[in-house]
Amino acid sequence: MNGISTSGRHEESCHLIAVEAESRVFSRLRAAIAWQTLRSMLSEARLRLALIVLLSAVFWALLYSLFFEAFSFLDSIHADVISLLFNAFFSSLMIMLVFSTGILLYGNMYCSPETRLLLTLPIRPEAIFAHKFIDAMWFSSWGFVLLGSPMLVAYGVVRGAPSTFYLLLLPFMVSFALIPASVGAMLCMAVVAWLGRLRMHALAILLTIAGAGAVWLGWSLLGSAATSGVTAEWFDTVITRLSIAEQKFLPSWWLASGLIEAARWGTQPEARFASLSEAGKFLAVLVSNGLLLYLLARRLARSSYRTGFSQLVSEMPARRQRRIAWFDEALSAAGTARGRPMRLLLVKDLRLFRRDIAQWSQFAIFFGLLGIYFFNLRAFNYNIAYASMISFLNLAVAGLILSTFTTRFVYPMISLEGRRFWILGLLPVHRDQIVWSKFLFSFIGGVLPCCGLLCLSDSMLGISPALLGVHEICGVVLCMGLSGIAVGLGAWMPDLREPSPAKIAAGFGGTLCLVLSSLFIVSVVTVAAVPTYLAMAGEAFGGGGPSSAGIFGWASGPLGTATSLLIVGVLGAIATFVPLQLGLRSFRQLEP
Amino acid sequence: MIEFDHVTRTYGPKPAVTDLSLSIPRGELFALLGPNGAGKTTTIKMLVGLLRPSRGAVRISGHDLVKETRAAHLHTGYVPDEPTLYDKLTGREFLWFIADMFGMPRRIAGEKIGREIDHFELAECADDLAESYSLGMRQRLVFAAALLHDPDVLVLDEPMVGLDPRSVRIVKDLLKSRTREGMTVFMSTHTLAMAEELADRVGIMVRGQLRFLGTIAELRDQVATEHTSLENLYLELTTVQPVASAGTTPAEATGTP
Repeated sequence: MNGISTSGRHEESCHLIAVEAESRVFSRLRAAIAWQTLRSMLSEARLRLALIVLLSAVFWALLYSLFFEAFSFLDSIHADVISLLFNAFFSSLMIMLVFSTGILLYGNMYCSPETRLLLTLPIRPEAIFAHKFIDAMWFSSWGFVLLGSPMLVAYGVVRGAPSTFYLLLLPFMVSFALIPASVGAMLCMAVVAWLGRLRMHALAILLTIAGAGAVWLGWSLLGSAATSGVTAEWFDTVITRLSIAEQKFLPSWWLASGLIEAARWGTQPEARFASLSEAGKFLAVLVSNGLLLYLLARRLARSSYRTGFSQLVSEMPARRQRRIAWFDEALSAAGTARGRPMRLLLVKDLRLFRRDIAQWSQFAIFFGLLGIYFFNLRAFNYNIAYASMISFLNLAVAGLILSTFTTRFVYPMISLEGRRFWILGLLPVHRDQIVWSKFLFSFIGGVLPCCGLLCLSDSMLGISPALLGVHEICGVVLCMGLSGIAVGLGAWMPDLREPSPAKIAAGFGGTLCLVLSSLFIVSVVTVAAVPTYLAMAGEAFGGGGPSSAGIFGWASGPLGTATSLLIVGVLGAIATFVPLQLGLRSFRQLEP
Repeated sequence: MIEFDHVTRTYGPKPAVTDLSLSIPRGELFALLGPNGAGKTTTIKMLVGLLRPSRGAVRISGHDLVKETRAAHLHTGYVPDEPTLYDKLTGREFLWFIADMFGMPRRIAGEKIGREIDHFELAECADDLAESYSLGMRQRLVFAAALLHDPDVLVLDEPMVGLDPRSVRIVKDLLKSRTREGMTVFMSTHTLAMAEELADRVGIMVRGQLRFLGTIAELRDQVATEHTSLENLYLELTTVQPVASAGTTPAEATGTP
């Protein structure tokens, strides 16, 4: 042996580092990655970035004005309702954050190549957990910030809140999000470490319990009001039932109460100080509980992360049975030989969808819950005006749910082909066919449940066949447009290196997709609802009001309906073909 | 330096590695050979702490991989078969991250980063984002990161995949010089010629068990005795009857990397 001994050099050059130093190194890592990402976006995609910021701002402003109107109305008739609504909103958000953080952490901690690198370095497992936890919390909470901030700012403005309210918003939101995120993290690690192969069953049971809870809540809120209609009595009943969410041991109550106290602006300085100190107390409760749960999660990571990872790595994949292969074969064989490549691509995507529990379970849960809600609409005896209004709201809800699905699962589809691009690139198919196959997959997958649910909703509400036809046309247009936006944007700005669909959807492109989808839904539903609204307004004025004459009379008649459908069709064509054209052009020139 | 003490690892009821006992002293380059599904990847994963043994213990520099994971990692450098990097970090930033995680003082870290960048001829791309790197460049950067802290033990999983002939030569020379300086190398490979050129001892693993353990000279003696070639002997040693594939790791069984 010659030279300095390795061991000697090793001793002088490295040592185990302290917890704080680990945190600092990870903070530097995140800062460096964020800075480089921002820099490359600013240098390579300035227009796209500007577009996204602008559209997000528009979306934020729209939400703000919507919430402003709603709070103004509620504040004038029944201020206490706001507290109940806050509690209901935050408690359901809490449950969603538990699941979304848990699922994201599962992917981040156990299935990412990064953790395979980190676990071979001399780092504490809890430090790796903390690093991935911050990622997961950020990705699962951005929706909360996007939806929650305009709502809370609007509330503050309506209540004339002091400036401290706005300063406290971020600490309140972050400390609240920390609680469900920590619970989700603990559930995720416990399930992986101790339930092993049973984790999918455990997840299914948890989701079933959550789903059953939601169904029960919906049933208890709405079911009892059968045949009484939307009356003051029904309103009181709903308020009473909504108070289920108002439990003092729930973090959602601490958040709601803290925000309401922070927004209070008494006339006397003593009253103002009392409100602020009350808000401070609630914030302290949220922060202390959040930090305690986070520490518990770190402790669990210390004891179970490596064991869980080791168990997961050593699992054998289950053998798959060819139970519904006949359907795939039939679909592949049907039609002309020219269209066969596209059908084969469709079959491939269908198989991936069927075998990805995250996709079909969320699809089933979302549309299943919507179906249960629609089915319960018969519980009310609506007058025709209410029924029409609700039917359009249901159209918007179905579209919004479909848009979350297209953003979360359809938008990342092209990006996810990145690592397999050499296969697609060598296939004897035109690249356009790949994009069109994704569009068809999304459109066919969406249009069947969407139109079916709209049919259910309208029949429960006793809507006329003509209006049912309008809704079905709108449903088809929405499915086309939403699929076009998701597939087109997905092909326009693919992220071929990112393997996680959640992260692709949560990125800038995914946000833009969600924002554009929401704007498209609002536009379509608004345009489609105008003739019905004018007709109702005309009836309300006894046929003699301004809505029954001239342009209003024309607009509320069959010609108006036809015109609105024409505009809906144009909107649908724009939403479908503009993003698809952008996507096709970009995808043809893509060099992976 | 490296010690496998009656190590068994099962996947459910199936054994992937069975009662492996192996001791590799300081300064030795050990090559683990074997067909797909032999248990090489499982052995490597246990050696770097990604998998825990079902029975037995794995030790590096006297540190048990389960009980003293961090201490064992401090003495280990690992080059996986698929290089993992942060795409949005430059090569130099990645090396700084590794240096920081190993608690290297700034001055020493700076010197060693410069040294490894020179060794692996990364100077031209060190300040580019890793997303622009070719597979060979990525692999060289991972080598640089693994050697940055002068580990006592270097674990290599199919190390030459993706490297061009010049990089292969650089790595081979480096392995020879580092083992002369006292570093222990544990390498998994399919390439018999490389094992023949570099390894002090080889182990041939079949269905989770060591079928042969000895020096290349001993392997050659066996070749001479049985009047066959090294390749034929290897194939003979690694031929298994077509029964249920015990010792198959999930990744190997599914053909995924």
